[in-house]
Order: sequence, then structure tokens, then C-alpha cells
Amino acid sequence: MTWVGWRLQRTEAIVAVGILALLAAFLVPTGIQMANEYHRDGLAACLSIDTPTCGNAAGSFRQHFQSLLTLANWFTLVPGLIGVLLAAPFILDLERGTYTLAWTQSITRRRWLVGKVGTSVLTAIVIAGALTLLFTWWRSPSAHIDGRLETGNYDTTGTVLIGYTLFALALALALGAVWRRAAASLTVAFVGYFAARLFVDYSVRDHLVAPLKATYKGAQQPSFLDNAHIISIDATVNGHQVVNGGGFLFSGAKFAVPAMSKAVFNVVYQPQSHFWPLQLTETGLFVGVAAILMLFAAWWTTARTA
Amino acid sequence: MSDALAIRTSGLGKRYGSHWALRDCTLEIPSGSVTALVGPNGAGKTTLLHMVIGLVEPTTGDVEVFGRSPRRDAKAVLPRLGFVAQDHPLHRNLSIADTLTYGRKLNPSWNQQLAASRVERLGLSPKQKIGQLSGGQQAQVALTLALAKQPRLLLLDEPVASLDPLARREFLNAVMEAVVDDGITVVLSSHIVAELERVCDHLVTLANGATQLNAPISEIVASHRLLTGPRSDGASVARVHDVIRESHTERQTTLLVRANGHVYDSCWEQHEVDLEEIVLAYLGYQPGNGASAARAREAVRS
Repeated sequence: MTWVGWRLQRTEAIVAVGILALLAAFLVPTGIQMANEYHRDGLAACLSIDTPTCGNAAGSFRQHFQSLLTLANWFTLVPGLIGVLLAAPFILDLERGTYTLAWTQSITRRRWLVGKVGTSVLTAIVIAGALTLLFTWWRSPSAHIDGRLETGNYDTTGTVLIGYTLFALALALALGAVWRRAAASLTVAFVGYFAARLFVDYSVRDHLVAPLKATYKGAQQPSFLDNAHIISIDATVNGHQVVNGGGFLFSGAKFAVPAMSKAVFNVVYQPQSHFWPLQLTETGLFVGVAAILMLFAAWWTTARTA
Repeated sequence: MSDALAIRTSGLGKRYGSHWALRDCTLEIPSGSVTALVGPNGAGKTTLLHMVIGLVEPTTGDVEVFGRSPRRDAKAVLPRLGFVAQDHPLHRNLSIADTLTYGRKLNPSWNQQLAASRVERLGLSPKQKIGQLSGGQQAQVALTLALAKQPRLLLLDEPVASLDPLARREFLNAVMEAVVDDGITVVLSSHIVAELERVCDHLVTLANGATQLNAPISEIVASHRLLTGPRSDGASVARVHDVIRESHTERQTTLLVRANGHVYDSCWEQHEVDLEEIVLAYLGYQPGNGASAARAREAVRS
């Protein structure tokens, strides 16, 4: 079944590697450019000591590469694309009726399922792993300047990208098992992947690991908030709330800049040190849902088909 | 003991939603026979074959292949079965060579030499893609895949329905060759009766989800008679023989009967009747409630 699994997935694997190569063709030159500027400006050495020159250098780096980094945030869709693509051989077998050919050879359908889905899962992990390495290298200057919790950096470095890919694959497998239409299943699974990602990014991620709370005084941001992901912040001056949830309140009309030094800030945040706990929890979440979807696809295919 | 019967079903039925695709099907197919499974479209032929190979789980009853359940004992049953599904699905983007490798990887009893020599005799190149072959050639490749498995029972679901007459003949010749060479048991379903007589020695008819006829073809042909005589209700004949179909003109009555022994009544003229006509008569005949048969039986009682 190993040979059969690979042979029937060859086209999709080639397309996936092609997508990887296209990305590399874009990321390698721009990554070299970013790394050069980062080293030329001595940013690596000065980030730990906060000096005005250093701040300027970081600011100019951000300004220079902002549009590129914003554009690169869209690459968070690539794991979804790879995932649904690798589900195609399984769904095509159902759509074209060739699964009956496999089920009437000498192997059990359980073995066929394991071979078929196993091949897709392995390929997905390898491609997602390669993507992660590529992105981790490309984003290393940005990760040093803005921290790894910055959305673009968080989504593409670490382990979550493998979880996202497996989730997209499993969602397409589950839809395809029921629907048996490859094109439609892959399209809907891709849209579903995007929706699930948006939901987790905006509503779930902040709470995957219990955030920290802190109170500090004065306008100067303390160093523990460096590159932290701030979930909410509010500030009071003489008992009047001036900042709420990160935004300023002007209704009080008592607001004056010098008073900010007397302000008391309450902040809820994920510190830089929560990067790995967050990554592993979110990866676990996506892999867990993927496993459930795959088991459903397997059950539906063997119990409900024919 | 179990090997004397290739297939045994009892009370076998399959329901999809509220529709019974096959109902209360009890039959035995002896090992070594070449059986035609005949019935109109929708009679349940495909469902029956799918239950025999284990693709479909029966709703009622059970099925045994060489004494084993194809679902519960798939590992033992599958290697002994060769199956060519309707429209012989194959991976269109694989070459013939890859298709044979597919078979070799999935079947421990695979005979690569048999497969390769069959492809060569078909005049095909191993490099050709399945998608580029004609329907007849694809059917032949699907048959090669099933035969190289070296099965003891070969199931063919409507193998020739989509083929032109020449390809049909070639396909059936290939099946017959395998029967002669390896003595395998064959069950092939068809809604076309023509040509089956040349290939098959056993016949099962299936209509409205149930079986009517299950016997060797020679016996079927020998026992059926077409009787023509002056117009009557045929009651005297129905007392002794089974009237399968009756038709009347103003002056004449024609009966197709399954004769129990000789028909001695001298007012009936007897004719031989060919298999196709017998089968067609059965497919329009429902045991117990078939209009003509019921009327004939009532006539007997009154």
C-alpha cells in the first residue's frame, strides 16, 4: 500500500513542492536583503540596550520592510492550500469510484485507509516542516525586533504551521468522505480553514495559556512588556479612567499629557516567554481537531460508503 | 465441504432507505460453474455482487463465499476473489505498467508473468496511460488485473454492457480462456441475454429484487416448451406443468411452460424455445402473483 499511496499522490506532492519552490523564490532574495540590513545596522547587538540610535535603526527597518512583512502575513493561507491539496487523492478515489478497485484487491479497507491517509499526513508534515524552517529563517530579523508573538511571526514559526496544515487536510478529508466531490470539498475546506484560523486568532489564542496581569505607574513602559502581546490595558489618573482596553477615552475632558506620569496602568498580557506554551497548546488544539475529523472520515468511509 | 459451493446466500437482502435493492435472495452457485446473473436494470444484480465481494453489508440474511463471510473474514476471502466492477474503474492517469504494479503491491498471490503476457497479447504497450485506451481495452486491463490475482471465483458486473460487439466477443473469449486454463468459477451479471449461452453453463434470473430461476442452462432449455394450440385457458396444462407465460389470439393460445416430464396432450403443438425467450418470460413473471400463473392456478382449483 505504501507504493500505491505514494504513486497515487505523486501529482499533488509535485504541486505542493512547486508551491514551496515558488515561495522560496520569493522569500530567499527578500530574506537575504532583510538579513543584510539587519546586520549592517547593528540591530542584533543593540536591541538589548534601548538607546535612541537603536530605536531609530529599528524604526527605519520597520518602515523599510513594513509592506513586505504585511504582505507576507497572507502566507498564513499556504498551510491551508497545501493541506486541502493533499486530501485530493483520497477524495478523487471516492469521486471516480476507484476505491472499489482498491477494496476488491487483497487488502482490508482499514489497511487502505491507513495507507492512503498516512501518506497524505506524512507528506503534509514534511512540507509544513520545510515551510516552517523557511519562514523561521526569513522572519528572524523581524522576530528579533518585534518579538515572536507578533501575529505574522507567531503564525509561521514554531510548530503551529504543522497543526494548521494537518487541520486543513483533515477538514477536506472529512468533507470529501461525505460529499465525494473533490473540487467542491477542497474549496469549502479551504474557506473553512480560513474561517477557523480567523476565529482562533481573534477569539481563542489569547486564552490558550492564562495571561499575566500587572500594574505599573508612569508613562514609561516597563521592560517586561517588551515584545509582549498586550491583550488589554487601561489607565487611571486620579481615579479617572483615561485609557480603556488600549484606547484613549476623551469623554472625561480632564486629560492632560503631563498627568500621564501619574497614571496607573493595569495590563493583561502574554509575555514573550509564553511563546512555546502558546505554540504547543495551539498546535495540540489543531492536531486534536484534525485527528477527530480524520477518524470521522475513516468511519464514514468504511461504515457508510457502499 | 465448503468448497463445493462457491457462493451460498440465504435470505439475503439490502435496503437503501425505504427501497429494497435486493430481497430475500437465497441461492447456491456451485464451484466450477460459469453462471450468468440475468435481470433488468435495477433488479439488484450489482447489489448482490457487491455483497458477495464484501463491498456492501447485507441488511438481512447472510452470504458465504467458499464457506466464509466476505465481510467478517475479508482477509481470507478477498485474495480468492477477482472482481471487475461495472464500468471497470481504473486510475486513468496511471500507465498500464503502473496499473500492474498496483495489482502486484496489493495482492500477495499476484502473477506478474500472466499479467504481462496478457497485456502483450492484447497488443498494448505497458507505457500507455489507461485514459488513452478504448473502453474495450480498459475492460481487458481491468480483467487482467482481476485474473493476475489468480482468483478462484471471478465476479464480473455487467462486463460487456458498455462494449461494442467486437470488444464484447473478445472480452468473453478472454473469460472463457481463463475458465478453460484455470478452472475458475465465474459469475457474470448482464441485462443482455444474447451471447451468454456461449459462455455460461448456469443461469440465475433476478427481477424485482428476487430470484426466479437458478439452474444449469442445459436443464433450463431442455425443460421449457412452447405450446401452441386452439384457443383455451390452458388449465389442463397448468395442472401438470408450470405455465410461465400465456398469450392468446382470437383462435390460438400460446403457452410457455416449464414441463414436468413430457407433455402428452395431443391438442398442443410443441416447439423448442431458446434461452433468451425463456429468460424474458421469467423476467416478466412473478412467482405466486404473476398474472398468468395465478390465473392458471385459479383455473385449476375451480
